[in-house]
Amino acid sequence: MTQSKAKKRTPAVFGWFSSLAEVFREGDMWTRLSALIMGLGQLKRGQVIKGLLLMAFEALFIWFQTGFGWQYLKDFGTLGTNAQARVWDEAAQIFRRVPGDNSMLILLFSVLTLATFIPFIAIWVINMKSALYVQKQAEKGVKPNSFVEDVKTFLDERFHITLLTLPMLTLVLFTVLPIVFMILIAFTNFDKNHQPPGSLFTWVGMTNVTDVFWGDQLKSQTFFGILGWTLVWAVFATFTNYIFGMILAMMINKKGIRFKKMWRTIFVVTIAVPQFVSLLLVSKMFTDTGVVNVLLQQWGLMSGPIPFLTDPTLARILVIVVNLWVGIPYTMLMTTGILMNIPADLYESAAIDGAGPVRQFISITLPYMIFVTAPQMITTFVGNINNFNVIYLLTTGGPLTLDYYQAGKTDLLVTWLYKLTVNEQNYSLASTIGIFIFLIVGSISLVVYNMTGSVKKEDQFQ
Amino acid sequence: MKKLLSLVLAIALVAGMSTCAMADAVTLKLWGAQEDQALLGELVEAFKAENADVEWDISLGVVGEPDAKTRYLEDPAAAADVFAFANDQLMDLVNADALYEVTRNKDAIVAANSAGSIESATLNDTLYGYPMTADNGYFLYYDKSVLTEEDVKTLDGILAKANEAGKKVFMDVSNGWYIASFFMGAGCELGMDENGNQTCDFNNAAGVAAGEAIRAFCADPAFLTGDDSVLQGGMGETICAGVSGTWNADAMMDKLGDNYAACKLPTFTCAGEQVQMGSFIGTKVVGVNTQTEFPVEAMMLAEYITNEAAQVKRFEQRAMGPSNVNAAASEAVQENLALAALAAQSAHGTSQKLVLGTYWTPAEAFGLEMENKSTADMQTLLDSMVAQITAK
Amino acid sequence: MKMGIKARERISNSIIYTILTILSFVWLLPIAWLIMSSLRAEPGAYTTYIIPKGWTLSNYTKLFTETELFNFPRWFANTLFVACVSCVITTMLTLMVAYTYSRLRFRSRKGLMNMSLVLGMFPGFMSMIAIYHFMKLMGLDQSLAALIMVYSGGAALKYYVAKGFFDTIPRSLDEAALIDGATRNVVFFKIILPNSMPIVTYTAIEAFIAPWVDFIFVSVIMKDNYDNYTVALGLFRMLERENIYNYFTQFCAGAVLVAVPITLLFIKIQKFYVGGVVGGAVKG
Repeated sequence: MTQSKAKKRTPAVFGWFSSLAEVFREGDMWTRLSALIMGLGQLKRGQVIKGLLLMAFEALFIWFQTGFGWQYLKDFGTLGTNAQARVWDEAAQIFRRVPGDNSMLILLFSVLTLATFIPFIAIWVINMKSALYVQKQAEKGVKPNSFVEDVKTFLDERFHITLLTLPMLTLVLFTVLPIVFMILIAFTNFDKNHQPPGSLFTWVGMTNVTDVFWGDQLKSQTFFGILGWTLVWAVFATFTNYIFGMILAMMINKKGIRFKKMWRTIFVVTIAVPQFVSLLLVSKMFTDTGVVNVLLQQWGLMSGPIPFLTDPTLARILVIVVNLWVGIPYTMLMTTGILMNIPADLYESAAIDGAGPVRQFISITLPYMIFVTAPQMITTFVGNINNFNVIYLLTTGGPLTLDYYQAGKTDLLVTWLYKLTVNEQNYSLASTIGIFIFLIVGSISLVVYNMTGSVKKEDQFQ
Repeated sequence: MKKLLSLVLAIALVAGMSTCAMADAVTLKLWGAQEDQALLGELVEAFKAENADVEWDISLGVVGEPDAKTRYLEDPAAAADVFAFANDQLMDLVNADALYEVTRNKDAIVAANSAGSIESATLNDTLYGYPMTADNGYFLYYDKSVLTEEDVKTLDGILAKANEAGKKVFMDVSNGWYIASFFMGAGCELGMDENGNQTCDFNNAAGVAAGEAIRAFCADPAFLTGDDSVLQGGMGETICAGVSGTWNADAMMDKLGDNYAACKLPTFTCAGEQVQMGSFIGTKVVGVNTQTEFPVEAMMLAEYITNEAAQVKRFEQRAMGPSNVNAAASEAVQENLALAALAAQSAHGTSQKLVLGTYWTPAEAFGLEMENKSTADMQTLLDSMVAQITAK
Repeated sequence: MKMGIKARERISNSIIYTILTILSFVWLLPIAWLIMSSLRAEPGAYTTYIIPKGWTLSNYTKLFTETELFNFPRWFANTLFVACVSCVITTMLTLMVAYTYSRLRFRSRKGLMNMSLVLGMFPGFMSMIAIYHFMKLMGLDQSLAALIMVYSGGAALKYYVAKGFFDTIPRSLDEAALIDGATRNVVFFKIILPNSMPIVTYTAIEAFIAPWVDFIFVSVIMKDNYDNYTVALGLFRMLERENIYNYFTQFCAGAVLVAVPITLLFIKIQKFYVGGVVGGAVKG
């Protein structure tokens, strides 16, 4: 399958270039000049508004590059060379500061500037092709599309462009560029000793990556330890929620059970209380002096407090259990409707064959549900790998341990990297870890998502 | 463009044309804690009135001392021109060249504030800020109806009485800030080498003895740990003594009523001898941002909000312990039990400014081991803690 | 025989009732504790007892009368405003993207879908500082507008539940309309949207809740601008060590006030919510 894709793609890219070459081969002077002054060809053939818009776009681009982009881009290779300087001012009796380069802003705005080249080149190519197109139309004596006609295509056959432009713009600004920025930081020494504005940071190559994997024993031990727990947590948190949520939904949905709406509402209420409140309270309930321990001792069940939050194993079990409290209502809501969709005759025939309720659940309900909700489960799984809230608010990653570098036994990779940035300003190490989280999670979800039946067959249902 | 502009401006300033900026209003922003806003507002108004020859445009922003460094580093250019911070952030702020040196009126400022508070804002013989309060430390609160003044002199005495009365002794051992009191009492030190990395000798012989003392304390039936809220909730009921700081004074008075008492930390048994517990002493310091357009005016403001009158006001309104010598000597301050206890303890304190970010997590992890009644070899535990604290 | 089945039914039902009752108790316990704390007259975050000794409503009234330190009404209004606007924007963006992927066929569709899926896995707070500086570049730092943009910015990544729902609407409907001469634009507004109320509701609720619960993004964006705080960030300030003893019960009261509108919303549109997720889940 990948082969056929590759085959299809090569000619596409090749064709893209060859059609550009065609513009220069077959275009007249006006068309060729459009390469320098965008929109010139269109203007000449009577597409005034389109031509002017293209020119304005080019002017805007040049204005942006000279006014803003260049001052950062020129230092991209070094990330700045002038540190903030001190000069004694005798009159004022102070050490005045002469601002230097800010490595972080250079890096960030260089990324932004480089990114603006992509739409520019794309529009430039479109400009060239359309210039040749209108030239040929004119040669044939056909009147070119008016501006209004052009706009109309964006509401119909090119409607996807209209719909996607704004979302994609936000996507690039809020997600893609920050990710690129973060990836680049992993190859610098941006840490507590290299903080702008006072000091510069610079490129250091692969040092951070090798540190995490084998260079620094403590850091790699921490990374793999936390990675292991993150995966264990994600698996347990996802599946326990899924199974128990479904069982709860089935109990509420069972024929003969009354007050269905009331039961559902009770569980839904817990969703409505913000997690930073509810989880904070829950974590207070489980401390040595919290409600749970006090009650257990008052009832005589225990002689001393149970170290729910300070014993590594208990703490890990606790976060999974509390996560049930958080997650079950969601699963319950979600599965309620699907459960009602399962054809009743499946159960009837199973009952005739003598299958009990457990058997029915395993051989009918579960497979059906998994088939239907697979994409939802992947989302939940990935969400759990990055489940900052539950861990951070409940245990802040604790109990801390000396076996790990600045981390605790319930820390996930995300919470660890949050702590590295907040407590230590160790952005370069945090970014390196961030990249790995991203690689792991991204590839898992991509593979699984594309494997699920519902994606493969998306067109069949319509 | 903005950057270019500020560059040009700065060069112009350095060239000696510093008066050119005076034509317009002097725009300054001041950061302080939310609880301090009303007080700061008053002080700013008084400041403007006293310097009426300049047109001022001073705005207030809410960033508490604990968050100052984080918020500053996110965007130094948008940070306040004058801001208060806890002095344990001094090192990181100086590393980022965030603070102007105190060069104007330095002698007067040094003379007006206690030596400890000046030292707490000094790095490599350079003073980087204006001390504002000297109360970011901890000491012992206790219940007079359970413990006598004699009992609270030693930890053993406190524990014995507490056990007799069926009460608890509170200390948050799984917290690097508090647990250090044992190590520093035993004579261990935290410091910094020339590369800016943390040094720590908590794993020497004295440290091991201190570690064993912590282990014994945690094993005592009267020992209780938890966060501040446990102390606030249990004092006077299940708790008869607890280690905490001035921010809890109101709550303690509230809970204990007439039985409210405070004193310096007790001594503890370290390798068979009685040793005074040490402590971290922190101060709150006002710094001037190196990115400010008006450094001289910003310094005037910083000096004004930390002068004697301002510190007296701060004590009256917010019960914050003054760093100013005269303000601290006033009768009202002397009569404040919590501040008196803190002052007594600070004789045994160590400044917090040489403690770097890498210290807290391993120290907390070690404290947790103790609270969980670990039986592991003390030397091994301390070795791995120190290895992490001193990691590069 | 018949009686046997009925008896068994009754036993199994009563077992279920028992389990449901116990579970409800467990689920409501923290909520009950939250409400009790919000009505507690004694200050402090921790008490050695469970039922408050004194009851009071002053924790609620103080939130609205003593606004000098903690301007709860203002923050509440901010949050409501941000939540409403970002809810509208997010819903629009999400539906636009989902509809495009579901109905329109173009060359880079598959690639864009996969790319969006992977990008959505990125831990969001790593991008905060970058986003803050972009906002500043646009002159929007520390403003509610910036916050709205931040909360709506990820909309293009959360398309798949809605896309799954659109996939279930029969294509024959839009094809018939296209034959009648309608543009795709009209198809979207006249045919798809009216048939998608559950998913619109679902998307809108998700977007509406985000500003009420986030406390990390908002702290980076707002920094020292106290007037533009949201409820979550403001309430968090009450838990700082200088404040927690006096303000914990007010913190609880504030939390209850935040939870009430969201709860009502959920109860009111539970059915839609269920329908929305299910529809999406059926076809992914």
